[in-house]
Parts: sequence; C-alpha cells; structure tokens
Amino acid sequence: MSALLEANQLTKIYGKEYAVNQLNFVLEEGTATALIGPNGAGKTTTLSMLAGLLKPTQGSISLNGEQRADVRESIGFLPQYPQFFSWLTALEFTEMAAKLSGMETRSAKLEAQKTLEFVGLGEALRKKTGTFSGGMKQRLGLAQAIVHRPKLLLLDEPVSALDPVGRREIMNLLKSLQQNMTILYSTHILNDAEEMTDQLLFLRKGRLVEKGSIGDVRAKYDHPRYRVEFGSAEDAKTFSLAAPWHVAVEGTIGFIDIIQDMPVMSDMLKLLGESGLDIRKAERQTASLEEIFMKVAGQA
Amino acid sequence: MRDLIVLFQKEWRENTRNFKILWIPLVFIFFGLSEPLTSYYLPQILNAVGNIPEEAMFAFPEFTPSQVLMATMGQYQFIGMLVLILGFMGTISRERKNGTGTLLYVRPISYVSYFLSKWKVVGIIALASVWLGLLTSWYYTGQLFGSIPATDFLAFAGTYSVWILFVVTIVLAMSAWLPTGGAASLSLVLVLFVQIVDSLLGTYWTISPWKVSTYATQWLTGSPDTSDFWWSIGVTILAIVALVVFGVSMSKRNASKTKV
Amino acid sequence: MEALLNDIPWGIIAPILIIQLILVVVALIDLVRVLHTNGPKWVWAIVIVLVNIMGPIVYFIFGRKNE
Repeated sequence: MSALLEANQLTKIYGKEYAVNQLNFVLEEGTATALIGPNGAGKTTTLSMLAGLLKPTQGSISLNGEQRADVRESIGFLPQYPQFFSWLTALEFTEMAAKLSGMETRSAKLEAQKTLEFVGLGEALRKKTGTFSGGMKQRLGLAQAIVHRPKLLLLDEPVSALDPVGRREIMNLLKSLQQNMTILYSTHILNDAEEMTDQLLFLRKGRLVEKGSIGDVRAKYDHPRYRVEFGSAEDAKTFSLAAPWHVAVEGTIGFIDIIQDMPVMSDMLKLLGESGLDIRKAERQTASLEEIFMKVAGQA
Repeated sequence: MRDLIVLFQKEWRENTRNFKILWIPLVFIFFGLSEPLTSYYLPQILNAVGNIPEEAMFAFPEFTPSQVLMATMGQYQFIGMLVLILGFMGTISRERKNGTGTLLYVRPISYVSYFLSKWKVVGIIALASVWLGLLTSWYYTGQLFGSIPATDFLAFAGTYSVWILFVVTIVLAMSAWLPTGGAASLSLVLVLFVQIVDSLLGTYWTISPWKVSTYATQWLTGSPDTSDFWWSIGVTILAIVALVVFGVSMSKRNASKTKV
Repeated sequence: MEALLNDIPWGIIAPILIIQLILVVVALIDLVRVLHTNGPKWVWAIVIVLVNIMGPIVYFIFGRKNE
C-alpha cells in the first residue's frame, strides 16, 4: 500500500476563525476513511479543500507525492446536497461530467449509461433532473462522482439525507466501489462509519483529535467489560464477594472490567457455573463507536 | 480546449431549452419591424383615430430612410439593452448561488473555458438577434421610405456589433463578480446611465466605447471622423478584453464561493 | 371603420402579428413545461396573452424560475 493523498498541516482560516486547523493525515491507496465529527467540526471545509474548491490558508495537499498537481483530475466529489441543471437529463449530465473529466465522447456516453444503471437510475436515464427526488439526486450525485473512475472518491455526508432503505442501498454501492477506489467520506452517523472504514479521522472544532483504524481507536478508548445479569440483587452481591476480581454491582447486574485481557471469558463462566446462582445473561461488552466518539469528543 | 466545446454545448442546450434562443431574436425582429411600420403609418393611424387638429398634421415630418434605421437602433439602445442585461444577468451568478456550478468547478476545467463558453453563446444570441432585427428594419425601410446602400448598412451594423459585444461582456463579467441583482444593476448603470452621461458631457472627448453607437449611425449619413472612430473601436475592444480577463478571474474565485 | 380595415396593407403588417403570436405561443408552451414560476402560473398566462408584446418578454425575464 502506498499513500495516495497526504495532507500536511492543512489549515483554513476565515477571518480569525480556524475552520480547519493543522490537519495531518494520509489516505492509503485502496482504503476507506471516515471523517467524523459533530456539525461545524470542519468536515465540509476539509473536503472542499481536498476537492480543489477551496485554497488552504496554510499547509499542503500532495497527491501521489506531487504537491502542485491539479487534484481535480484524480477525484470524484459528491457534495452533501448536490445540485443539478434541472433542464438536463440524467444521462446528459453524467455524460457531460465524464467528458469534462477527460473521457472520449464515445466512452463517456457508454460509461455514463453503465454508471447510471449501476447506481439504480437505469429507468430514469432520459428524465430531466429537475423532476428527481432527493434519493434519486443522491444516486445521480454518486454517478457523476464515479463515472470517470477517479482514484479518490470524496463524499460529503453521502447517506445522511436518505431514508433507511436508501441509506442501505447507497452504503452497499459504496462498499462495492471500495475495491477499486480510495474513499474519503464524512459522516456524523457513526453506524455508517463502523460499517466501511479502514481509518477514522475524528474532527472537532477544526482539529484532528484522533485518528487510526477502528481497532486502534477501540483499543485506546474502549474499556471492555463483562456484564452479568442475575436473577436477583442478592445473587449479584454474593457473586461479587466470591469472585477473585473486582465486580461492580448495579442492582441485579454485575460488571467486571477486562484489564489486559484478564479475566478470560471461560474462567468467568466457569466460576459462574460453579456458583449455582441464578444467572440470566452473561456477555462481553464493547463500546459502540458512538460511545467512543463521545469520549473522544469530550476529552479535547 | 475540449472542455470549452463541452461547456459550450451545455450552454447552448440551456439557452435552447429555456427558449432564449428563440424569444430574444424575436423581440429584436419585432422592434426592427415595428419601427419603420409605425413611422410610416403614424399619420394615418392618428388620422383614423381622429381628434387631430388639421394644423397638427403638418407637424409630422417626412422621415428619411436613415432616420428610421437610427430610430430602430434607438429602440435597441433602451429596450434591447434591457432585454440583454435582464435576460443574461444570472448566467454565472445563478450557478454559483444555487450550487449547480459546484459539480463543474470540481472537474478539471479551465476557468477561461468556463467564461468563454458562456461569452460565446450569449454573444452569438445577442449578435444574431441584433443582425436579424436590423436586417428586417433595413428591408422594411427600403420598401417604405427608400433604400439605404448596402455598404452603409454593413458599416452601421458592423460598428454597432462592437458595442453589442461590449454590452454582453459587461453583463457576463458583472455576473461572474456579483450576485444576480447587483450584476443587473451595475450593468444597467454601465450601459444605460453612462451612455446618458457620455452624451451629456461627452462633447469634451471623442474617444469612448459609449460613442460607438453614435459613430455607427454616422455611417448612414456620411462617415464618422476616421481617427475618433478607430480609436473608439480600439478602446472598446481593449475594454472587452480587459472585462474578459476580469470575468475569468472572478469565475475562478467562484469555486470558493459556490454553495457546497 | 370598415374602410380603414380595408386600407390596412395586411401583407406588410402580417409579419409583426405573426411574431407576436409566436412569442405568445412559445411563452405559453414554456409556462406549461416549466416546473416553477415566480408567482402563480395562471396570472402569468393572463399576462402573456393580454399584455401586448411585453407580456411574453416580462414572463421570460421575471416569471420563469431558472434553476
């Protein structure tokens, strides 16, 4: 794997406001990166700079190790609310997009049609985009972003405006694209990020407060524990006194922190089994990305 | 330059589908027709309506052919300019404001192509409209009042075309720079208001883009002062080039101002 | 009045009437096809049909929402 894009001290200042503050990150070729953070964290500003719409106040973006390249040649960009010329049909628009990105006329038309079918707009090729629903616009937006087979796909909140069914379909499309493209997408919906991510970038108030793979971030912020549900508070208490580990009791539930992989599940289950207590449920708990996110957001 | 062709196609499609390519020429042809017709039939019309005192009938002067053609241009200088300015005021500003420009700006297009594609299409529509209108007017004037030599007409219409290109370039450059309302207002000031100022105070100078239309009419009655004429044409072309350069750089700035 | 109507050289006047008619028809076609207008469509229909020559022009400039 090699670095496709590298952001170095990337900064955008509006007046005195730091919209984006000294971001450093690398997008490895063929990976998917999720840019997460609350509204106003600087996600859109970051994507706009990478897409070549905004000029960084400071810092640099290099593509394939080149700093002065026109990044627009290698990217596909889907804004959060893509707007289309209402008087063009989906096919005409996608074809134009392909041609503007340098494709030959004939292959542009062919690819445009194939791409629109791929995103599920095969029936609407010749419909004017002015009549499109929100979901259809999102699909068309995706089509124009991938029709020229860019190396890097930048997506700003690609699914947040969609209903659950649409969201699922778009996520599946993105996952199938992941094999051929490097993807960077922003989201504030963490379940989506959890689904398709090699790298997480946590943004807060313009700063990159955490980055790494899901595993790394988990290891750092997740404090796994066992959760055991007893038939009564009495049993929970009895167990906490008998166990060789610290058991925090909350009503009928006992929590045992896992520290450096200890205790192992089997040991604990064995002890529970031998205790003869009324046990309803025992599980290993890991924090959801949501909880980790709250921790990361809270610490800075 | 391939992006110029693709963007030109897009622009052409837009102006076909919003019918500008049809209604703007029709408006110019309409005034090209109505001016000679009303000039010719005005006495009869008034007569038919009645109420005109006998003595007043003498007040109607006989129009010369060149006066009629000048009157057509007079209509263009007000209504025609309004149509061009208001019809094309949003050409660039609209794409920036509603976000449709975003998906163009993220593609590897040159902003020279972006601006020129619009400039060419709007220029073609404006020039075609003016020429169709003036040719109609010339033909009707010839039928009703007497003919104007083709060479005089061509010199007149050719000179006037330079002014039309100047106006078109102003509108597009303003649209690249300002929001639609501001672009329209400043264009109106630059085209109509400065024109009035130039005609009121302009006796002090002879070289100005705003004098080009006056020089155009002078081809119909004789010929303008050669030096003043060519200098004005030269200055106007320079102004057009400067406005194009300005428009291109403002279009480039749009990328950072577009709705994402 | 009848004499006046006979006096009018229709061959010369006809083009101007035809142009006005085309403008009205084109504006009405556009009004039907366009998705949104500034203000209610029926008002624009009246303006286009009733206001001589300026009706269609004003519709195209101010009535039609360009998107």
